[in-house]
Amino acid sequence: MSLKGIGTPADQARLARRKRIGQIYRIVTGIPVVLAVLLIATLVFDVTTDTVSWHVVEPDNEGVNLSFQEGFRWFGTWEHVVTQELEARGEDPAATLGDAEERRKFGLRNRVELLWSLNGQPMRWVVSNSRDDRVASYGWFEGNRMHDELLAGLEGGEQLRLNPWLDAAFFTKNASRTPLMAGLINALVGTVWVILLVILISVPIGVGSAVYLEEYAPNNWMTRFIEVNIRNLAGVPSIVYGILGLYAFVRLMNIGPVVLSASMTLALLILPVVVIASREAIKAVPPSLRQASYGLGATRWQTTSRVVLPNAVSGIVTGVILAVARAIGETAPLLMVGAAAFIPRIPDGPFATYTVIPIQIYSWVGENDPEFANVASAGIVVLLVILVALYAVAFYLRRRFERSW
Amino acid sequence: MTQNAKTLARAAGLHKSGTRNVGERVIGIVLFLAASVSIVTTAAVILALSAETISFFADPAVSIVEFLTAREWTPLFPESQRYFGISPLVIGTLMVTFVALIVGLPLGLGSAIYLSEFANPQTRRSVMSVLEVLAGIPTVVLGYFALFFVTPILRDIVPGLNLFNPLSAGLVMGFMILPTISSISVDSMQAVPRALREAAYGLGASKHEVVAKVVVPAALSGIVASFILAMSRAIGETMIVTLAAGQKPTFTFDLRETIATMTSFIVQAAKGDQPAGSLASQSLYAVGATLFLMTFALNLVSQQIVQRFGERYE
Repeated sequence: MSLKGIGTPADQARLARRKRIGQIYRIVTGIPVVLAVLLIATLVFDVTTDTVSWHVVEPDNEGVNLSFQEGFRWFGTWEHVVTQELEARGEDPAATLGDAEERRKFGLRNRVELLWSLNGQPMRWVVSNSRDDRVASYGWFEGNRMHDELLAGLEGGEQLRLNPWLDAAFFTKNASRTPLMAGLINALVGTVWVILLVILISVPIGVGSAVYLEEYAPNNWMTRFIEVNIRNLAGVPSIVYGILGLYAFVRLMNIGPVVLSASMTLALLILPVVVIASREAIKAVPPSLRQASYGLGATRWQTTSRVVLPNAVSGIVTGVILAVARAIGETAPLLMVGAAAFIPRIPDGPFATYTVIPIQIYSWVGENDPEFANVASAGIVVLLVILVALYAVAFYLRRRFERSW
Repeated sequence: MTQNAKTLARAAGLHKSGTRNVGERVIGIVLFLAASVSIVTTAAVILALSAETISFFADPAVSIVEFLTAREWTPLFPESQRYFGISPLVIGTLMVTFVALIVGLPLGLGSAIYLSEFANPQTRRSVMSVLEVLAGIPTVVLGYFALFFVTPILRDIVPGLNLFNPLSAGLVMGFMILPTISSISVDSMQAVPRALREAAYGLGASKHEVVAKVVVPAALSGIVASFILAMSRAIGETMIVTLAAGQKPTFTFDLRETIATMTSFIVQAAKGDQPAGSLASQSLYAVGATLFLMTFALNLVSQQIVQRFGERYE
C-alpha cells in the first residue's frame, strides 16, 4: 500500500519517520538474537580449533611413521602400530604385547597416535614417547601461518607435527600430569555411572511427584506447599545442592566421596525440572480421556497408568532428557561432593571413587602447562557432542509427538 | 445377575473391589512419598546450612559484627591471620552480577521483543531452540571460553586488566542469563491479549508504538520478574567465576582486579578438603547460607511480582 499523495507533506514526513523508527526497532531487537548465535558459533569454533596444535618436537627415539593405509586400520590398530614400532627398535613385539604387565607399562609410557602431518607429509600414525622434548608449540592458526617458516627452521632430528588432541588415544587414557598422555576414559566411565544412577533415582521420584500433584493430590494447603516448594527448589543455585550433598550424603550418612553421593546430589538438583516437565506433559492429556476411562469403570491408578501416562510419555521423556543433559554438564556440586581430579582406576560401581567429564575439564583448565588448554578443549568437544546428541533427540521427540487434542 | 453382567463386572474388576481399594491406597501413599521428597530436600538444605552456620558463629573467634563489617576474608589462613568479613565476597559477587546484568538485560529484553513481536513463527521456533541450546551450555565450558578467548581480547582493549577479572566473567555470564530473561519475557508478552494490540492498531499506532506503549508495559511484571530471576541465577553461578574471575577475596570496586565471589570461595574451601567441624569448613556453610538467603529472597520477590502485579487477562 503506498501512502504517497495522501496527506500534507508534513504528514508524509511524519509517516516516513515512523516507518524508519519501526525499522530501527526491528533491527535493534534483532541484534541480540544475532549476538547469541554469534556467541555460540564463536565458542564452538574456538573450542574446536583449540583441539589442534602444532609442535616442533625432538623425539628421543626414532618412532615409526606408517603409511596411511598401513596404519589406519580400525581393527587391531594399536597392536599393529606398536608391533611396527617395536620391530623398528629391534625388540621382540611378542614379549611386550603378550605379557599383560609389559603391555600396560608400554601403554603408560607411549602414546600411539594419529598425527595429521609430519614434516609436511600427510596423515601418519606414530608411536610417540611421552617424554619427547617439546621445542615449541603453536596454536592452529599461528602454526598454519608460520608453517613454511617452521619447516625451514627445523634443526637436525626435529620434527614438525600437527597434533589432533582429540584422537583415539584421548579416549583410552586416564588423566595424567603430561598433557600428551592425558585422556578421558575414567571421566567418561564416571559420567556414565553417575548419570545412570541419576536417572534411576530422579525419574521414579520426579514422575511420581508429578502424577501425585496432577492426578491424586487433594486441593489443600499441603499440596500448595509442595508446589511452592518445588518452584523454589528450581531456583536454588546448584552449588547449594553441592553443600547439601557434602553435609548429608558424604558426611552425615557417611557414604563418602563416591559415585552414589554424586548421583543423589545431582538427582535432587534435577528433580524440580523433571517434576515440572512431567506435570506439563500430564496436564496436556485432555480430561475427556480420563473421563472416558473412569466411565468404563477404571480406577484412578488404572486410568493413570493405562491412559494418562502412555499419552504423556513423550513429553516426560523429552523433559527427562533435557534434565539429564543439565546433570551431565554440572560441575560445581560435584566439586563439593568429592569428585577427584585424578583417580587411578576406572569407576566400576556406585561405591567407586569417581571423576566426570566437566570436573576433568575444570582441573585441566587449572593446570599450569598451557598445553592442558588443548586437552581441556578436547574434553569440551566430547562433552558438547554428547549434549548436542541429547538435545537433538529431545527436539526430535518434541516435534514428532507434538499433538493437539 | 445374568452371565453377561458378571462378565462385564469382571472386566471392570468390580468382583474384587476390596483388594483394589487397598492397592489404590498404597499407590496413593507411594506417590505422596515421592512428592514429599522435595519437602525433605528443602528441610535438609536449611538444616545443613543452619546447623554448621550456627556452630560457625558460636566459635569465639567469629562475631556476627565482624562477619558483616570487616573488609577481609581469610578463613583458610593460619589462625593468627584469619579474618571473617564477608564483604569482599559479596562485593565480588555483586560486581560480576552487575556486569552480567548490564549485558544480559538489554540483550534478553531485545531478543524477547524480537521473538514475540517481529519474528515469524518459523524464525521464532528456531531461535527459541538456539536460546535453549545456549542455556544448556555447561558453565564450565563458558568459563573456559571466558578465560581463554574473552579475557585475552579484553586485555588488548582494557589497560591493567588482570588475567582473572570480573569483567570477562560477567560478560560471558550476561549471555548465560540471556535465555532466562528472554524465555520468561516472551511468555509474558505472548500473554498480552490480541484485543489490546488490535485496539492500539485501530487507534492508528504503528507496530513499534504498539510494542513500546502497549505490549511491554502490559507485560512489565513478567519482564521484571525475569530480570530478578536472572540476577539470582548470576549470583548463584559458580564455574564461570571460579575459572575466569579468580579466587582472591579483595575489597575493591575495580572491575580489573582479581576477586573472589561467594560461590568461588565455596569451591575453593571444598577443594582444600577442610576437616569437618573446623572453622574453615564451617565458614563454607556460612557463605553458603548467605548465598542461599540472597537467592531465595530474590526468587520470592520475583514470584511475588508475578502474583501481585501480573495482569490477568481472560
